[in-house]
Amino acid sequence: MTLVSSGDAPVPVVPSVDGRRLGQAERYDSLAARNSRLSPGELLNVRVRRSEVPAGSDAFQPFQVPYQKWMRVLDALNWIAENEAADLAFRWFCGSKMCGTCAVRMNGREVLACWEAVEPDMVIEPLRNLPVIRDLVVDRTRYEDKVASLEPWIERHEPYAGFPEPITHKQMKDASKALDCISCMCCYSACPVIGLGNLTDFAGPAPLVQLGQTALDPRNSPDKVRRSLELTGIFNCVSCYKCEEVCPASIPIVSRVIEPLKAKAAQLAPEMARHSLALRGIVARRGRVDPGELILRVQGLRALANLRRILRLLARGKINPIRTLLGIRTSAAAAAGRLLGRRVEKP
Amino acid sequence: MLAQRDTAWCKKTQLESLSGMEIWRIVNAKSRAQGDEMQVVTTDVAVIGGGAAGCYAALNLSKRGIKPLIICKGLVGKSGASLFAGNLVISGRALGNSEDNARNTAEFLIKYHNQFLIDQGWAQRCGQWVEKVYYPELEQAGLYFRRDDAGEVVTSPGKIRSIAANVQGNSGVPFMDLRRKQVIKAGIAKMEETVATSLLQNLDGSVGGVFCLNYITGEYTAVLARAVILATGYSDRLHTRSTGTREMSADGVALAWRAGATLLNMEMQWWHTNDMAHPPSWQRMQIYPNPMLGSEKSARMLNSVGEEFFNQQQDDPLAFGPYTVQLKALVKQVRAGKARYEGDYYAGFDNCDAAEVETYTTYAKTFRQLGLPFPSHLAETAVSSHYRQGGIDVDTTTMASSVPGLYAAGGVGGHSNGLIGLATYDGHVVAEGVARDIGMLKAVPAWQGQIEAECRRLDRLRSSSGDGPAPGRLKEALRSVMWEKVGVEKNASDLRSALDDIERIRLELLPGMKIRHTGKSVNYEWLDAIDVINMIEVCELVIHSSLERKESRGPFIRQDFPLTDNDNWLAANVLKKSGNGLRFEQRPYDLPLFAPGFSRKDNLEVAW
Repeated sequence: MTLVSSGDAPVPVVPSVDGRRLGQAERYDSLAARNSRLSPGELLNVRVRRSEVPAGSDAFQPFQVPYQKWMRVLDALNWIAENEAADLAFRWFCGSKMCGTCAVRMNGREVLACWEAVEPDMVIEPLRNLPVIRDLVVDRTRYEDKVASLEPWIERHEPYAGFPEPITHKQMKDASKALDCISCMCCYSACPVIGLGNLTDFAGPAPLVQLGQTALDPRNSPDKVRRSLELTGIFNCVSCYKCEEVCPASIPIVSRVIEPLKAKAAQLAPEMARHSLALRGIVARRGRVDPGELILRVQGLRALANLRRILRLLARGKINPIRTLLGIRTSAAAAAGRLLGRRVEKP
Repeated sequence: MLAQRDTAWCKKTQLESLSGMEIWRIVNAKSRAQGDEMQVVTTDVAVIGGGAAGCYAALNLSKRGIKPLIICKGLVGKSGASLFAGNLVISGRALGNSEDNARNTAEFLIKYHNQFLIDQGWAQRCGQWVEKVYYPELEQAGLYFRRDDAGEVVTSPGKIRSIAANVQGNSGVPFMDLRRKQVIKAGIAKMEETVATSLLQNLDGSVGGVFCLNYITGEYTAVLARAVILATGYSDRLHTRSTGTREMSADGVALAWRAGATLLNMEMQWWHTNDMAHPPSWQRMQIYPNPMLGSEKSARMLNSVGEEFFNQQQDDPLAFGPYTVQLKALVKQVRAGKARYEGDYYAGFDNCDAAEVETYTTYAKTFRQLGLPFPSHLAETAVSSHYRQGGIDVDTTTMASSVPGLYAAGGVGGHSNGLIGLATYDGHVVAEGVARDIGMLKAVPAWQGQIEAECRRLDRLRSSSGDGPAPGRLKEALRSVMWEKVGVEKNASDLRSALDDIERIRLELLPGMKIRHTGKSVNYEWLDAIDVINMIEVCELVIHSSLERKESRGPFIRQDFPLTDNDNWLAANVLKKSGNGLRFEQRPYDLPLFAPGFSRKDNLEVAW
């Protein structure tokens, strides 16, 4: 007979093959373990960040929630609303990882409440980088406005050929990954560059994934894609992979969306990619980064306007004008040149 | 209009978010506290619902130069039923369908999907439109129908073929995402996380507006519109276990009924039979029984002793969405003591290779997230109430209800059970219908009496300060009565007992409701209090309708009337308001394309 998971039988711990979860199996933190280490009725200690706090207590209200089989964070929140705090505000619609509206931070990590297993001790907070309206409910307007401004729809450069039009999955591979996005804002909350506020004009991972759905679609006109990309500040992305780490839809946000979009930007709007293209060229030629040349190539003579900064960099040995002017190469230059190509393609 | 009536209590402002629509802000309505503001918005058509039908209706109206305003209780394209579309059925001769495929699809829709309680003329028009317009239009707009690496559209093989938007099991997500963006691109005004609490009516009874509450800001809006389209969807979330999303509470049916609209077939409730039994929030997560893209296989269901009792591709290939067939198979297992409606039976893909399932579908996601070995493990499953086939009675050529000015599109209509393509077609038809009629329709004047009464009713609900349960508890109590006594198998005595229970909730518990948080902003308790009143009303209508249909038909199973009775009940169970009560009428269906071919038969032995 087939293995039937009767529910209360222990579930074997299966080492995960997903690279994002490396180390979790050793810590007894595989998905199987998370779903079986509590037994029904055991009490979870849950602390939820509240907006209206009675005088004398901190912003976290404690609750004890009895575990139910395969309990999700959302089940714990629902239990609290039904039994302890009918006034707890949290947003959700579908409960099955489709609407993407129930994301919260659990123990410092962005999760979809409907999708993530509960922990024995949980601190639940609203997402970061979006204004909190009440308790766990955030205002999504900032994101929605950004997405709308990017106009993430298709403008065909060739007439529609009729259903079904010629297109292959190979051509749609990256766009298809982006189409798994449920715009839950986990990545937007986890992004450290968005966390810098208005210091950069970075659109953020979630709007870029939304844009990637059409900008990485071969049916879209390059001109349209360029116009959208110009509004993204995409080269502010530091490729830290925080977004990928938290994405509940497992979208390879950096490698399959942001990097391909950066490549498109470098091709369609090279002025946006000045820094990246200069850096790449320098490494390809010299085999290492030369900060002096990088500053000159990116800022040109404007760099001289900030003389104090230049002197500071000199004093700390960050730039070396002699090395820069002599165009000194390292022994890695040949290999770097081979790998990166001596000339950066101009569109 | 408003200005002519009374300029003293309102002033005009413009809100950019509503696309330059005419907006009036009432600063000091009579009998409301100083500083309490509400807005009055004027538009051509109010569309209630932001799913497949509502979005498409709004887009089509907008194309015709008629100004729509979408009022959505959730977020446009992110709440409601449309998001759950797993795959998309190919109708007619599209995409290499054979003559047989085309006929099978029509037969499936009429027999298995609607048990013959469908306007077959509408079904035919709809099928042709889906074939000729729907697919090309979606693809032209950029929707990606899954291809293989060679560029072929991937289909599920079998008697009825289907395709997926990007990935099977998740088609509704990119589909509705596209609609959301089309709505933005078209500059259509939308009010989200806003619940329609009542329809505004002219003195002649015609509908000419909507009163609504944005439960995020707590602000009231009266929308004055020449026509109102209800597009609130199929599911009501009236049972303990339900596929309906959080915001659903049968609002569309309740609003229409109060406005005097005729309903039909309210008893015809569809069920999912293999949704996850645990955890509670996954009760709408299905182990999909439909044919899979790129595979000849389908999921199988096992009873508590490990015997397989259902596998779509083997048991009934014509039942593309085999929910009723599954349900009947499950009823037999329950009666044999080998399953319960709440669990003790299992579903999964242990008859398939993992790659076979995962190449084109999301079906493994639940198993994987639980850390269960896939596909060798099955998951415990249970029944959830799903679509309601019945709903508002409409003229299927215009989607007009029996009340002038009020239209219904998509699942809230009683003319067919849903699928995302059918709901979309309704959006097309209703836009034509409204465009035809709009010259003869008029918005309500900003009639203070009606608007003020609704303000007071909602204010009162927000300050409910009895010593009884929270509104959320009342909802659960109601769902529990429906689950226990108006569940899969029904009988007259349980149904009457459910009516008694609900009357007790209405008369004894409702007046004593207690709201803990009386603030206006993001007050879900307040929303629950508004919802529960609609739910009570609709539950009672469902039960009365269930008592009236004295037969069993498809998913409607009466223990006391086990036969499918085509002699007496191949008819719509029409429900009309009469005075303060209600009365039923029967309206037989025309059968131009398909007929059942028998008079009376044990429902559990009927294939569909």
